[in-house]
Amino acid sequence: MEKSIENIWKEGFLKSDALVAPKINNLYNQKSIHIIDKFKRMFKINLIAIVAFSFAFLIVSFLIGIPITGIIFFATLSVLVFINKQLLNDLEKIDLGISSYQYLKAFSQWINKQISINKKVSRFLYPIIFISMILGFWFKDAEGMPLGEKLVGEILVGFPDVYLIFGVPLIGIVIVLLILALLAFFGGRIYTWDLNIVYGRLFKKLEEMMTDIESLRN
Amino acid sequence: MSSDFYKTSILPFAGIIIKLCRAYTNSQEDFEDYYQEVCLQIWRSKDNFREESQWSTWVYRISLNVCLTLLKKKKNNVQHFVSDSVTTEETEDNFAFSDESLNVLYDAIRELSEIDRAVIMLYLEEKSQKEIAEIIGTNPNNIGVRVKRIKTRLKKILDGKIN
Repeated sequence: MEKSIENIWKEGFLKSDALVAPKINNLYNQKSIHIIDKFKRMFKINLIAIVAFSFAFLIVSFLIGIPITGIIFFATLSVLVFINKQLLNDLEKIDLGISSYQYLKAFSQWINKQISINKKVSRFLYPIIFISMILGFWFKDAEGMPLGEKLVGEILVGFPDVYLIFGVPLIGIVIVLLILALLAFFGGRIYTWDLNIVYGRLFKKLEEMMTDIESLRN
Repeated sequence: MSSDFYKTSILPFAGIIIKLCRAYTNSQEDFEDYYQEVCLQIWRSKDNFREESQWSTWVYRISLNVCLTLLKKKKNNVQHFVSDSVTTEETEDNFAFSDESLNVLYDAIRELSEIDRAVIMLYLEEKSQKEIAEIIGTNPNNIGVRVKRIKTRLKKILDGKIN
């Protein structure tokens, strides 16, 4: 006797083996690998973007006559990329075979190490970038003489009593030093702020997942 | 995902998730991957549930979307064109149900287009035309006609398989 498809469906699923749900204990492994892979991808893209930008800026700096800025910028960012590439190599060493909780823990430890190192680097990075801009523009050619010297000459015309140290107005040195000190002081915070813009959502997901797994373990 | 959430909000609907995932996969391994991904996505999307529809409708919708997305990814990965209507891959032996008629029916369902598979399964699950339309995101008036056409097509495929 020919059965209707409705009957085949109903009767077929009455048998006990038809609807056995697979175990989902592998779920956290998949999720953690997915999140960490995403982070690795973003991190690599970020490093490539820094390299590309520093190259592009180096060329532009020569074109617009501030090669000192370009060279310092390039050298500083190269060091930054080198440090972070080393950190990325450490990340690649985390064993995928360990449990997802251990994997996430290891990743979390790596993140903390990475943040701590980059925070320290940022205390130098931002001041160096600032000083490279100042030096670049100071030595930029302005009708046969450095732009900085030309500006000082013009200032001296208006304010002949300005106190100079090695041909640079003291007030200018004080302002630059103040900005450098502020950048060094807030470098770590600027880095954290920057980090949260790029990876904030990912870190939040990671935190949620850690809390979730921890609640399951307890 | 807490085990409580899985037990209370997913497990009661595991039946339809299993049925859907099986219609879009040909092996036990793929089936388990699809099932896990559906559970994961339900858990991830739980905060977006606005109670504008029933939880079961929400679960069906996510299950279907995940299956279609994974199927698309799989097709892209093997990098060959597969028409909308036919899956050429054979099902694995260990993937069969103990009921032979059900296996034949599933094989026939797998030969339908992706959306037709969803429509017929929701129909077989005795969902109303309105619910099916809500899950698929289409006009309820078209569902009745579509179901009739799919049933005719399924019968043809089944006759071909039996003969």
